[in-house]
Amino acid sequence: MKTASEGRISTSDMRRPWTSRRRKEEDLDRELRAHLDLETEEGQAADLSPNDARYAAYRAFGNAALIREDTRAVWRWTMFEQFVQDFRYALRTLCKNPGFTAVAMLSLALGICANTAIFTFVNAALLKPLPYPDADRIVALQQRPLRGTGTTYVHPRSFVPWQDRAGSFEALAIAQAVPVNTQGEDGAEQVPGLWTTPDLFRVFAVSPFLGRTFAAREGFGRAALRGEVDSGSDVIILSHGYWQRRFGSDVNIIGKTIPLYRGAAVVIGVMPAGFRVGSLNVDIYRPILIDRSKPEAVGSRGFLCFGRLRPGVTLEAVQAEMEVIADQVGREDAGEKGFGVVVLSLRDYLVRDSRLVLFVLAGVVAFVLLIACANLAGLLLTRGIGRQSELAVRAALGAGQWRLVQQLVAESIVLSAIGGALGLVLGWGASRVLVLLAQNAVEFGQMADVSLDARVLAFAATLSLLSAILFGLAPAWRVSRVDLQSAVKAQGRGVAGSRSQNRLRAVLVVGEVALAVVLLVGAGLLLRTFSQLMEVKLGFQPEQALTMRTLVTGSAAARSSLVESILGRLEAIPGVRAVGTIQFLPLSGWTNNGPFQFVGRPLPSNAMTMESDVSTVSRGYFAAMGIEVLRGRPFGREDRIDSPRVALVNESFVRKYSQDEDPIGRIILGDWANPKPTEIVGVVGDIRHNGLTAEPRPTVFLAQPQVPGYITYIVVRTAAHPGPLTAAIRREVRQVDSRQPITEVQPLKHYVSTALARPKLFANLLGTFASLALLLAAIGLYGLMAYAVSQRTHEIGVRIALGAQPSEVLRSTLAKGARLAAAGLALGVVGAVVVKSVVTNLLYGVTPLDPLTYAGVAALLAGVALLATYLPARRAARVDPVVALRYE
Amino acid sequence: MPKPSDLLQGTLDLLILKTIAREPLHGWGIAKRIQRLSGDVLSAGQGSLYPALHRLEQQGWITAEWKDSDLGRTAKFYSLTREGKKQLERELKSWERLSSAVQFLIENA
Repeated sequence: MKTASEGRISTSDMRRPWTSRRRKEEDLDRELRAHLDLETEEGQAADLSPNDARYAAYRAFGNAALIREDTRAVWRWTMFEQFVQDFRYALRTLCKNPGFTAVAMLSLALGICANTAIFTFVNAALLKPLPYPDADRIVALQQRPLRGTGTTYVHPRSFVPWQDRAGSFEALAIAQAVPVNTQGEDGAEQVPGLWTTPDLFRVFAVSPFLGRTFAAREGFGRAALRGEVDSGSDVIILSHGYWQRRFGSDVNIIGKTIPLYRGAAVVIGVMPAGFRVGSLNVDIYRPILIDRSKPEAVGSRGFLCFGRLRPGVTLEAVQAEMEVIADQVGREDAGEKGFGVVVLSLRDYLVRDSRLVLFVLAGVVAFVLLIACANLAGLLLTRGIGRQSELAVRAALGAGQWRLVQQLVAESIVLSAIGGALGLVLGWGASRVLVLLAQNAVEFGQMADVSLDARVLAFAATLSLLSAILFGLAPAWRVSRVDLQSAVKAQGRGVAGSRSQNRLRAVLVVGEVALAVVLLVGAGLLLRTFSQLMEVKLGFQPEQALTMRTLVTGSAAARSSLVESILGRLEAIPGVRAVGTIQFLPLSGWTNNGPFQFVGRPLPSNAMTMESDVSTVSRGYFAAMGIEVLRGRPFGREDRIDSPRVALVNESFVRKYSQDEDPIGRIILGDWANPKPTEIVGVVGDIRHNGLTAEPRPTVFLAQPQVPGYITYIVVRTAAHPGPLTAAIRREVRQVDSRQPITEVQPLKHYVSTALARPKLFANLLGTFASLALLLAAIGLYGLMAYAVSQRTHEIGVRIALGAQPSEVLRSTLAKGARLAAAGLALGVVGAVVVKSVVTNLLYGVTPLDPLTYAGVAALLAGVALLATYLPARRAARVDPVVALRYE
Repeated sequence: MPKPSDLLQGTLDLLILKTIAREPLHGWGIAKRIQRLSGDVLSAGQGSLYPALHRLEQQGWITAEWKDSDLGRTAKFYSLTREGKKQLERELKSWERLSSAVQFLIENA
């Protein structure tokens, strides 16, 4: 081993186990060969022939390979012993500095907690295998309006030819979520149901837990679904949960009948526990029977479509095939003309809304962890500088540089292992809390399954290790370059870090500030988006109104009179100001649309179909919702099932289709149930129906008694708070029809706050992470400034002694900090501009380069940086020259 | 003839350290010297010699260098380090204690 004859320690071969492993092996080979040669020579000297001498040597030598193995084992054991030694020493060192250790572990734990929490969602949404056999062969099909964006549901008129002609599928099915009126424990209840073609169970390759699934010819059409006609032998399948809840896990349930609103149905099967179609919650499955000569009898463009691909068929292949088929269908069937088809893998379909958000969140928490690591790297650098004398002694005792690095990195690994374990547990807890808190905002579906599986553990472990290397390696390398002479001569704290070490720390701090700025800009933009959304004019009054949903069935006359009775009874309740019904409530996510034309007019020359949203409302609806009637009159008692057809339209309709002519009095005809020419009698104000951010669309309102719907939302406007009247309302509805259940009793403003919940959640999440990032960056800045001041105490003392004013010192220190912060701000702004395309889709009412947000972030950063620098600056200004100069 | 593999590992270490205390020697030389000085009673097999040599080197008690031997070949010579000298003292002392204890037991048991 070479000793410290020069100023620097050079490495001994034996101390670098893996870089010179090959050299060690070669060395050993040489050594063993030399031994053999010597043995041979001895044999020759003893008058053996060269060959005999060689053989004798080999025999005496023994098994060379075994010797090599044993020696290698010694090396391995020594390496292992070194590791153990390093870790024990690292633990001791960390325990001796509890303050530093606590801060470091906490920052790491926070960073890893945030990353783990987000990863559990990424895992559940994107990585975990879907709970179906061969799930990567399941696809979801949607129709796509060729002129326009987005996708829509599937029409049965397309489904039938798809099923016939597509060769890519083993099974293809359509389904629709339809509530089912049945009897619960205390009277009528409505449960979520799925009306589906029998092949759905083959698509998801699920076998029933009890009984069987639907047979090919079982099922009924929409008329029976609506209760207009008897459905014949109505068969249903129960979900596992519903079977447990409602029927107490009765094993003899197969063959029993349960009452529906009209008639009864026979239970033929129970689904296994945990089975779900995508993210739908379903209690009862009922079969669709499509009449091939009239597929539209089961409904319009409102079905989900799922298929199972044949083995070996790729997504590209099936997409191509379906596009050809859709094109054919469009040419054969006028109603399906404007629609293409989109095929997505089931996973892509289920996560289509959340992918972007998850990606953004993952990036955000990665930034936070990077900032924490940068802080730790800076901290370790400082501590390393303070340990120079200790390290110099170790070097003098024979440790090579790599050995010192090993030891320092061991400390980082111990830190990050413990911090990581803590972060893992915290992160998993945080993700569960988040699922609970955000249930309103996000349709979690399978993402709610945030279990701690092998992938999450592996992720946390890998992240901890990477962090350790990230923040530990560079400082360890720098610090272990011990200059023996100067280190041993200098004493303790007087040792100044080299210029390059200080520069490194400054670079780290600037980087941290930049990352924090990017996050702050993102958070600011999302906050502004949220506040813009809150300002959106709804067009109706959300306060003091109660809503509920029911499903009316039967003939048109029956439905019409049922709703009329309900209205009459509810209006009579004291405290109720107005009552009305609508088919689909605004902001409930549902809408109806269809083409129409003005009667008595030639079709417009450009032959583009005029389309509008269509809504069926009762009298009193607009009063109940607080929507302004601008012109003409709303529906009233005089509009009955047998009176002339009337309609109302909204402002958007007038703007688009009746700009030049008074809409009142015009006759329109649309693709409605039982259509007849209908006169427009009034104009109402626009409302946000399809979402807070979606522009109001031209809408035609039809009168409920004349074109009665099935799903019906009742809106009750009350004089005071609606809550206390809920019981009375339920009672009155039961009086009308005891089998009529009402569900989803919610104040109207619930729908508004649900629409706001998602942007609010994101703004909160990003705000939290950005604040955390800012805090960490501020700590980093403070740490650097404080250290710089303490290093230059001597120099400051000299300056003050020579006449510098304390205020000058203060200002110059502040200026230093300000320079760093400004550099970070500039870098961060550039970064934010570069990534602006990522967040554009999440914004509303603000551009990604919104100057107000950027200005706000700059101001916030300036304030925080000022605060972080002020304390060290004040300490610099207060330096007593006498004290400073006394200690060199 | 008791094979050195029957000896405790520490004893072989002691023999090696003592052998090279006087002057540096290569592996073959160490084996030969142990054999000769013990009157062929002990023979350090190469299977245990080389692992022991490398372990001692890892511990920092001996150090190695390639040098030309007197037979005209290049060989890896081992020598004691400062720390190794101290270790040799320690081992000698514990060997003294051990052997005298065994001797006493044999005589008086």
